[in-house]
Amino acid sequence: CSKELEKVNKNPNEAESAQPDYLLTNGIKTNVDTYWGTDASMETSLLYVQYWAKIQYTDPDKYIPAATSIQTIWNNFYAQGVEDFTTLIQLGDTLNNPNYKAVGIIMRSWIFQVLTDLYGDVPYSQTANIEKYLTPKYDNQRDIYLGLLAELKTAAGLINTSGDAIGGDVLYSGDMNKWKKFANSLRLRIALRIADQEFDAAKAVFDEIGADNTGLIASNSENAQLVYLASPNQNPVAKNRETRSDYRISKSVVDLLRAYNDPRLAVYGAVPKDTNTIVGITNGLPTDSASRLGFNKTSDVGAVFTATTAPGVIFNYAELLFIKAEAAQRGLLSGDAEDLYKQAITASFKQYNLSDAAATTYLAQASVAYDAANYRKSIGEQKWLALFGEGLEGFAEWRRLDYPVLKPAYAGVLDGKIPLRLTYPSAEQALNGANYREAVAHQGADQLVTRLWFDVR
Amino acid sequence: QDNRVTGVVTSRTDATPIPGAIVTVKGSHHGTQTDADGKYSINVSPKDTLRISFIGYTAVEQVVGSSRTLNFALENNESKLQEVVVTALGISREKRSLGYAVQELKSKDIAEARETNVVNALTGKIAGVTVTSSQGSMGSSRIVIRGETSIAGYNQPLFIVDGIPLDNSQLGVGTGRDFANAIADLNSDDIESLNVLKGPNAAALYGSRAAGGVLVIKTKTGKGVKGYGVTVNSSATFENILVLPKYQNSYGQGSSGQFSYVDGKGGGINDGVDESWGPKMDGRLIPQFFSNGVAVPFVAHPDNVKDFYQTGYTLNNGVAVSGSNDKVDYRFSFNNTKQTGIMPNTGITRNSFAVNTTFHLAPKLTLSTYANYVKAGADNLPGIDGKRANSVTLQYTWFGRQVDTRLLRNYKNADGTDFNWNHSYYSNPYWIQYENTVGQARNRFFGNARLSYDVTDWLSANFRVGTDTYNDKRKYKVAYYTNGTPYGSYTEDNYVVTETNGEFTLNAKKKLNSDFTIDGLAGGNIRTNQYENNYQQAPKLAVKDVYTLNNSRDPVISTNVFTRLKVYSAFASATLSYKNWAFLSATARNDWSSTLPAGNNSYFYPSVNASVVLSDALHIQSNVLTNLKVRGGWAMVGKDTDPYQLVNTYPFSQPFGSYPMLTVNDKFLKKDLKPEITKATEFGVEAGFLKDRIHADVTYYSSSSYNQILLADVSATTGDLKKILNAGKINNHGVEVMLGGTPITTASGFRWDVNINYAKNISKVIELDKEGFLNDYVLGSSGNMQVLASKGKRYGALYGKAYKRNDKGEILVSASGAPIVADDKKVLGYYTPKWTGSINNNFSFKGFTVGFLIDTRQGGQIWSGTNYTGIYTGVLAASMPGRDEEHGGIPYYYANNNQQSAAVRLENHTAAAPNGETVYHDGIIFDGVTADGKKNEAILPAQRYYKAVYSSSLNESSVYSASFIKLREVRIGYALPLELAHKWGLQGVNLTVTGRNLFYIDKKVPNIDPETAFNTGNGQGLETLQIPTTRSIGVNLKVSF
Repeated sequence: CSKELEKVNKNPNEAESAQPDYLLTNGIKTNVDTYWGTDASMETSLLYVQYWAKIQYTDPDKYIPAATSIQTIWNNFYAQGVEDFTTLIQLGDTLNNPNYKAVGIIMRSWIFQVLTDLYGDVPYSQTANIEKYLTPKYDNQRDIYLGLLAELKTAAGLINTSGDAIGGDVLYSGDMNKWKKFANSLRLRIALRIADQEFDAAKAVFDEIGADNTGLIASNSENAQLVYLASPNQNPVAKNRETRSDYRISKSVVDLLRAYNDPRLAVYGAVPKDTNTIVGITNGLPTDSASRLGFNKTSDVGAVFTATTAPGVIFNYAELLFIKAEAAQRGLLSGDAEDLYKQAITASFKQYNLSDAAATTYLAQASVAYDAANYRKSIGEQKWLALFGEGLEGFAEWRRLDYPVLKPAYAGVLDGKIPLRLTYPSAEQALNGANYREAVAHQGADQLVTRLWFDVR
Repeated sequence: QDNRVTGVVTSRTDATPIPGAIVTVKGSHHGTQTDADGKYSINVSPKDTLRISFIGYTAVEQVVGSSRTLNFALENNESKLQEVVVTALGISREKRSLGYAVQELKSKDIAEARETNVVNALTGKIAGVTVTSSQGSMGSSRIVIRGETSIAGYNQPLFIVDGIPLDNSQLGVGTGRDFANAIADLNSDDIESLNVLKGPNAAALYGSRAAGGVLVIKTKTGKGVKGYGVTVNSSATFENILVLPKYQNSYGQGSSGQFSYVDGKGGGINDGVDESWGPKMDGRLIPQFFSNGVAVPFVAHPDNVKDFYQTGYTLNNGVAVSGSNDKVDYRFSFNNTKQTGIMPNTGITRNSFAVNTTFHLAPKLTLSTYANYVKAGADNLPGIDGKRANSVTLQYTWFGRQVDTRLLRNYKNADGTDFNWNHSYYSNPYWIQYENTVGQARNRFFGNARLSYDVTDWLSANFRVGTDTYNDKRKYKVAYYTNGTPYGSYTEDNYVVTETNGEFTLNAKKKLNSDFTIDGLAGGNIRTNQYENNYQQAPKLAVKDVYTLNNSRDPVISTNVFTRLKVYSAFASATLSYKNWAFLSATARNDWSSTLPAGNNSYFYPSVNASVVLSDALHIQSNVLTNLKVRGGWAMVGKDTDPYQLVNTYPFSQPFGSYPMLTVNDKFLKKDLKPEITKATEFGVEAGFLKDRIHADVTYYSSSSYNQILLADVSATTGDLKKILNAGKINNHGVEVMLGGTPITTASGFRWDVNINYAKNISKVIELDKEGFLNDYVLGSSGNMQVLASKGKRYGALYGKAYKRNDKGEILVSASGAPIVADDKKVLGYYTPKWTGSINNNFSFKGFTVGFLIDTRQGGQIWSGTNYTGIYTGVLAASMPGRDEEHGGIPYYYANNNQQSAAVRLENHTAAAPNGETVYHDGIIFDGVTADGKKNEAILPAQRYYKAVYSSSLNESSVYSASFIKLREVRIGYALPLELAHKWGLQGVNLTVTGRNLFYIDKKVPNIDPETAFNTGNGQGLETLQIPTTRSIGVNLKVSF
């Protein structure tokens, strides 16, 4: 009788154990979706950092984010990201396959880095362990970045290129060497992110791995990116454009590209139906003024970004070179900052299949010449251009470097300020209230304009 | 010489026939009984005296004389205590012996309402019952008795039809249609009586599923019908809109007063804007969606939304044939219901067939069978949930008030696309109704067979098997070119639900001595439930207008779920009665459920209750106090959970190309779940006064439900979105009062009856998790607005974004003059009412009856999405104050016409600005204070004002009191005098006119019906974009042959 009852209650619909390769595919796909998706990117970071602007339903562009967007980003990154990769890390241990474990740590670290960049203090050390922590505490941003540096170092160390292979790897097709490069590149990204606060810790990372180019992303073919497939596995931007026409390229990015005669303008923007020049629109217009500009007279972003199979990039080669340029400039790394800066711009051109000649011509302009005295401007502007479309990373670096100088949204609701973070999802108040309040007490009011720890200026 | 005398026995109260009345020749054993139509026939001699008697009525006697026809109208004298009611497991008992409250409705009370969903017929008629209907008149309805006893689980009562549980699931919540809850399949005309067992005390024997009470339904049989009888019932009910929002008719589509149409998606001036902050509709010339670029008068169409709706109607036709003889009685019924909704191209049809038979196979052996087949369906159901492909109320709340919806009726252009006023987000509303349809087809069988054997004169053995099984297939079509779904889509969603019960009982009734009688039963039950759902979708059609799953551009999306559970039960109950005035009952039941882990899957729960009829015990013989009974009891019931809540699993998702994917479940399950327990106590007093002309029944109850199994929302940072907890605790206590009386009854046959119900329930959430981490459990949400079960608070807190206030409670405004929204959310109200009540009056005279029912719900709040959205969009009349000079707007200008600067107030509307700046007349000042405590003086243009105050990021402004008083029902009936009927060869003719939901005598929330919700779940108190609710008036004709 009891046996019979137990048999009846065996779930016939779902697997009772996880296969690591299936879990890995899912983890990469769903989190790159979130990173490039409506909530984290199109409705928030892409607007704040003025890569895109809204021509319809302009509230988010006026810094009134939808509560659901904020909640979705949080839920996806934690429940689909941190949770799935934590399980993969555990599977790596139980299956005795350190490569799975390493990949799990790298992906999870990337997700935590994105989360803390966006929100500031977030739960880190007590996450994805519901049996022990039903209400995880919020860790300080400093501790999170330092923790991630340590975790990524461990992950890179675990990688065994001659060990058991991994499956389901839609990012690097199981090439563990590339995973190691990605891990190290992420370490440099984080090290630089904290350099204004924790210079020595940053320096230690650069000292350890900054000089060895073979251990870092070394070309655009090594970019960390998910190449999307046909529908229903299309790029999130492509999916959005199938039914919506809410977004345009921001006037800010068009103006800078045009000012520098940048050939990437034709890549980043699309020519509108009714005109033959690329027209960006101002961020944060009132609904009526925005819609009056006309769908056919203003530019969407370029086809490179709206194509079905457009890649979802999470780390490109140009970024790594910009990191090294800045590190060289600031004494974190030995090297020629200007040369690295030029290499970085060239890498960005190449990413979009522009010729070396075009890059050379571009770099010859006085307006884009590297200015060591104001490296934040040179690197800030060019990195901003090179990260176009990657809203979250662009937003983080713009906050750190304070360049380019952006004008707040025209009808922004933040008294002339630009968001410096996202507010915590409102469900946290009900579900993790005590820790939420502690985090707010530590970090400052839960508002869009509250400055985060890494963002010194 | 004997004569055959025939006649009909009716009730004087309402002239309805009394079946089963006993007709005897006084002083002899010669006698008969009336049939289902109250008709009798007997051989007597003229000098005989006929005596007509029936329980609950004063017997009458009459000498036969020369009459061949003798009709009798009996006066009701029933003491409420003598009423026989059906209790748990179908046991009939006199009310005097019950230790708990029950309330009964007769067929008439239910059938006369002519509701297509039987649950709605109960509204206002039973103390402590709350009914909420979700959307329109063909959707779902939720019924809750004595408040919510389960924080997260199912809170509606169990439905038992002729001893067998009948499923009442609402399947497909969140799919954009409000599919009716499954009990709507039941044909009201087949119901003989409906008993409401209000809590665990009455229902403990049903076990697991009885915590929310039980509705015990007995269907009509052919018992007592001599020969055979035929009843034909025919009704037509018409419905129109009861509550339609009040729209403004001054300003049309657009923003900041500007509008000009080019392509309806931003090509013109604000022509993609779906709001009405545009130009004044004063006949000025503006190109519009129908004018091909020509400027035409911009004028109001005040009835543009109303024009879209139509009069709904329901035709209901049924026939029942019943009969009996020594060996068998039977009843066969057929009923056809066809309802056409108020929205174009919506409707449902239902055909039901029922057969109820009893075979007296041998003197001691009886076989009863009951079988019901229902074929129900719809070609299209109205869309809800604010999905743009199917919700028209969405686009009428975001609307251009100048749009003439009559022009939209020809919805298709020559190229197959839709003709509409807007193309940035919506499709033509008629396109939505005629192209984007959802069809439903249900086939349901429920019934049982029962074999009963009288072992001795005091012991019988019963064996019953019953099943309830249905499949329900939905087909969702979204047409090519639908905005947002340019390739259209096609979805099939198919459910198969089955419950089977096998039950064996031994029933005993034995008189122990002259004082004591014992009455008991013992038995066992095996129940199995299966549920299957197959969902398949062609997300983009390859070819337009062909709706098959094969016609797909993208891989077909499919999911399927299969669940089953099994429960073994053993139970016993006994009632000991002493001198028929003291009663002591006890029940016990043990369940073994497959849904709980070994070790915790067996759970026992007892109940005990007692009643004493004091008036008999103390021999009170008073004309003032006719009878008096006290009762009380204690009960405990256990409850299992859904299948597969113990072991964590990994669900699959659609593959990424050739890479299969699975993920970690977002729900964290629990290996060692324990059953939920509800303990309940109740006490009551019943009293009859003035020969029972006045009777009162008062109950106090309290219940505590603990170890509740909650699928609680948890912070996503735990890695999960939900976790199963086994610790929730909620307490309820309350009072119910039922008062009845007959203020007037005259010898001429006039009679006035009144019934009053009152109920008050207080709930409190005591605990959510053992560790005390969780303070709130989310029952439902819409945007920022959440409905919570919060620790230490009443159940059903509306929790949302509120105004930021200073210490004095004044609302703070920002520099611009807009109210500031507080960072922290707060409790803005509770959806659970403070008390409910109703008064039902019935007047009868000869064959005429007139009755009306008024009911009320007081206390409790509702958050209205229709209100905030419609004001935000400038569509509702509530967005008019301050919009212009006529409506009290303040005149102002911007220095140098710089709109970024602060608005400067002008003395009056004729004053000019100092430098000739543009003068505006739509200024409003929000009633608030600045941070330094000064009264706000900053002027906001009306559009900005209303968008700041009524928005999705500020919920407080759209929470309203849900209190109401409603004229629920008016009935006018006429029964043809039987003499006349008989002359025409008929047994009876009854004509009734019933009006339902006629109007609100009082309600606090504007523009919507407060008795509404998204669905039948626990997340009540939220309204958004509801389909207007309707009032109905119906005529019903019943003819018996």
